[in-house]
Amino acid sequence: MKATVIRRSRQISQFVFFALFMYLFVQAVYLGVSPLESDLFYRLDPLIAATAMLAGRTLIAGLLYSLITLAAALIFGRVWCGWVCPMGTMLDWISPKPVQRGEQVSDRWRTVKYLIFTVLISAALLGNQTGVITDPISILTRTMTTAIWPGLRKMVFGAEGFLYQFDFLWPVLDTIHANVLLPLFQGIESVFIAGIPIFLLFGVMVALNWVAERFWCRYLCPLGGMLGIFSRGAIMRREVSDACTDCGLCARECPTGTIDKTQKYVSDPAECIYCYDCAADCPAAAISFPAHAPFPWEKKQPYDPERRDVLVTAASAAAGVSLLGVETITRREPERMIRPPGATLTDFTTLCMRCGECVRVCPTQGLQPSLLEGGLQNMFTPRLVPRLGQCSFTCSACIEVCPTGAIPPISLEEKQRTPIGLASIDQDRCLAWGYDTICSVCEEICPLADKAIRQDEREVTDLNGNTFTIKLPYVLRELCIGCGACEYHCPAGGEAAIQVKTLPSQEAVIRGI
Amino acid sequence: MSKKNDINRREFLRTISLAGAGITLAGCSRQSTAGLPTPVSSAATATVGDENTQLSSEETANSTPTYGDALLAIAHGENPAEMTMRAIAAIGGIERFVQNGADVIVKPNICTDYYTYEYGATTNPDVVAAIVQLCNGAGAKRVRVMDNPFGGTALSAYKRSGIEDAVIVAGGEMEVMNNNKFRKNAIPEGVDIREWIFYQDILDADVVINVPIAKDHGTTRLTLGCKNMMGTILNRGQIHSNIYQRIADLTSRVRPALTVVDGIRTLMRGGPTGGNLDDVKLSNTIIASADVVAADSQAATLFGLKGGDIGYIPTAAAMGLGTMDLDAIKIEEFSV
Repeated sequence: MKATVIRRSRQISQFVFFALFMYLFVQAVYLGVSPLESDLFYRLDPLIAATAMLAGRTLIAGLLYSLITLAAALIFGRVWCGWVCPMGTMLDWISPKPVQRGEQVSDRWRTVKYLIFTVLISAALLGNQTGVITDPISILTRTMTTAIWPGLRKMVFGAEGFLYQFDFLWPVLDTIHANVLLPLFQGIESVFIAGIPIFLLFGVMVALNWVAERFWCRYLCPLGGMLGIFSRGAIMRREVSDACTDCGLCARECPTGTIDKTQKYVSDPAECIYCYDCAADCPAAAISFPAHAPFPWEKKQPYDPERRDVLVTAASAAAGVSLLGVETITRREPERMIRPPGATLTDFTTLCMRCGECVRVCPTQGLQPSLLEGGLQNMFTPRLVPRLGQCSFTCSACIEVCPTGAIPPISLEEKQRTPIGLASIDQDRCLAWGYDTICSVCEEICPLADKAIRQDEREVTDLNGNTFTIKLPYVLRELCIGCGACEYHCPAGGEAAIQVKTLPSQEAVIRGI
Repeated sequence: MSKKNDINRREFLRTISLAGAGITLAGCSRQSTAGLPTPVSSAATATVGDENTQLSSEETANSTPTYGDALLAIAHGENPAEMTMRAIAAIGGIERFVQNGADVIVKPNICTDYYTYEYGATTNPDVVAAIVQLCNGAGAKRVRVMDNPFGGTALSAYKRSGIEDAVIVAGGEMEVMNNNKFRKNAIPEGVDIREWIFYQDILDADVVINVPIAKDHGTTRLTLGCKNMMGTILNRGQIHSNIYQRIADLTSRVRPALTVVDGIRTLMRGGPTGGNLDDVKLSNTIIASADVVAADSQAATLFGLKGGDIGYIPTAAAMGLGTMDLDAIKIEEFSV
């Protein structure tokens, strides 16, 4: 097949996979319907599979799809990076023109991605997945969920709001709103505590493209590093024939800068992303990707980490994990670190891979990626912030979407019985308790059939001497499941006068969980 | 002059009364030509204050002989759709409210997505669908059904209530309330609040049909037709201070043309959200009236209460939004 055709196929593949990623992202909402699993890209991601299974010490069947990606790497090298990865595609699309070749960046930087990979695997062996926040699918999902998509929503809805000032446009706008905007963006204003920090991290990644093309993929990406290791013995490897005229075009064009013009334009199969730019543009048609025997592995590169580097990195990772042990969360759960439903039943921290799918599907957006509320070790793990959104009583979307079972697969009925926290009333700020004001919102909103909030009556007298009855709410600990509907709807200004907090520790004993 | 031809006073009276009865019967016979036969009550029609001007419907009712002319209808039975249709027929038929080409908004109570309609927290889908069908039959240009749920999202609550599926089958549309269409509006008759943010389409619609479910409510004892107006506004929480007057004020602005109270599965305790089937009583009743206050007063009796027991009902009556004196209006009560 002609090299230009293969390159065109690669470009189409990138577009299709990116579109698929966005499709899965958009339909990953409560009540969304899709023939495909919304976590498909995670299932194909061998880095996630390795760390989740090592840290969780369990076999996660759904993540075994990633063997396909590994098999592809053994045949075609880092074809994932060049043809599939939506992050790589995005970096290809958002790059400066003319592109920066990155000649000023030392090749030693290529070592870093292997070392990051080493850190992740070592930490996972010790039951820690903090570093998995560097997985590219995770970064893209998280940024899309908390920043890019909500930002886009604000922009589109801002424009829509402007147009809605003109009444005669309403029929048209209504149609667009109901059929396009609502399915795309859902009916809820998006707010995320971690949105801006997450976007800034992503911004740095993109900005590095101005230092060198695909800087992230070349030097930093731990998934790229993992696939690079497997690509060393790839069957289809790049070869330059004697027809080469030494024009140097391929070395200038290579997006990962792996073609060495000083050594007859050879490349490192662990760096080549199989994009076919070199082969398609070669004026002498000297470049091909023929099949080789899979072994022996290609010769060592100067930037390959030495055994000593690997050992030191692994030891550092172990030290790092130990250091995280000084964080206060290892002694006391913070009172506002409410996990998704059922998550207290498992060792959440080891199983959660910070992928952000649960945050994405949460229909109230009460689930938020945490920053440092649960310590550095829990960065970007989900927590419920009931003041921003309650855990919706009839929804089990996060349970259904979690790829690793960190949020355990319990039924909706079980979820409706499983406490995730316990509401408590601040009597000084409660309108009824503190200000003799009729309110009852928390009791009204409580979704439980038997109402976990009940009310006592009290006669009060106002300034004018009128006597009337107010109802004073209190929480029934035996019933409350901590969904936070009361906290979300509490009319007190700012923080709610009723708040869901971490379960009392004996609660687990009382309810036999 | 033969004595035979003489009629005495007694015979005269008998003849006259028979003729009168015949005419009355003839009057009744027009009912039997209707697709939906409506029992006629002989209760005296009393004129009621303000709402008659609002309805100006006496003529319409008379010129449409297939329909009854009651001010309030109570239908008992097992079939919600038929009860709804019969109750509306008894108060003059849907054509009295919905003109050809009208833009109609039906406002049921879809408070949350917590439970399905069997739990008595959201309006019966068959009742809503029957109303949509009637409106379409009367030539409505467009029939939209909407509410602003406070638990779960509108999409999930529409689905879970069963109303979405029923309405689509009946040829109506569900509209998710759009933030852009809430606007501040004056409430000229408002006593406590003189303006509020309403859903503009509801104020602009040709006809608003109010379809509350009668159920227990923690704050207001019962939620009925007037209370259902809470779903047409933003900043609901702020209504809770001085809630009775504010509900009446909202009602004065929205002024639903027709109120159909779903009293089929009534939630007796644990409202407004429910969740226990034990708290649901099969009252099997539909109440229809153009007078929301009368409808609410009648619905209160399903709970062994009177209109006067529910704070916002006397308040609304005092504002002239309707009557809570059920003895003063013509009521049709029948079983289907």
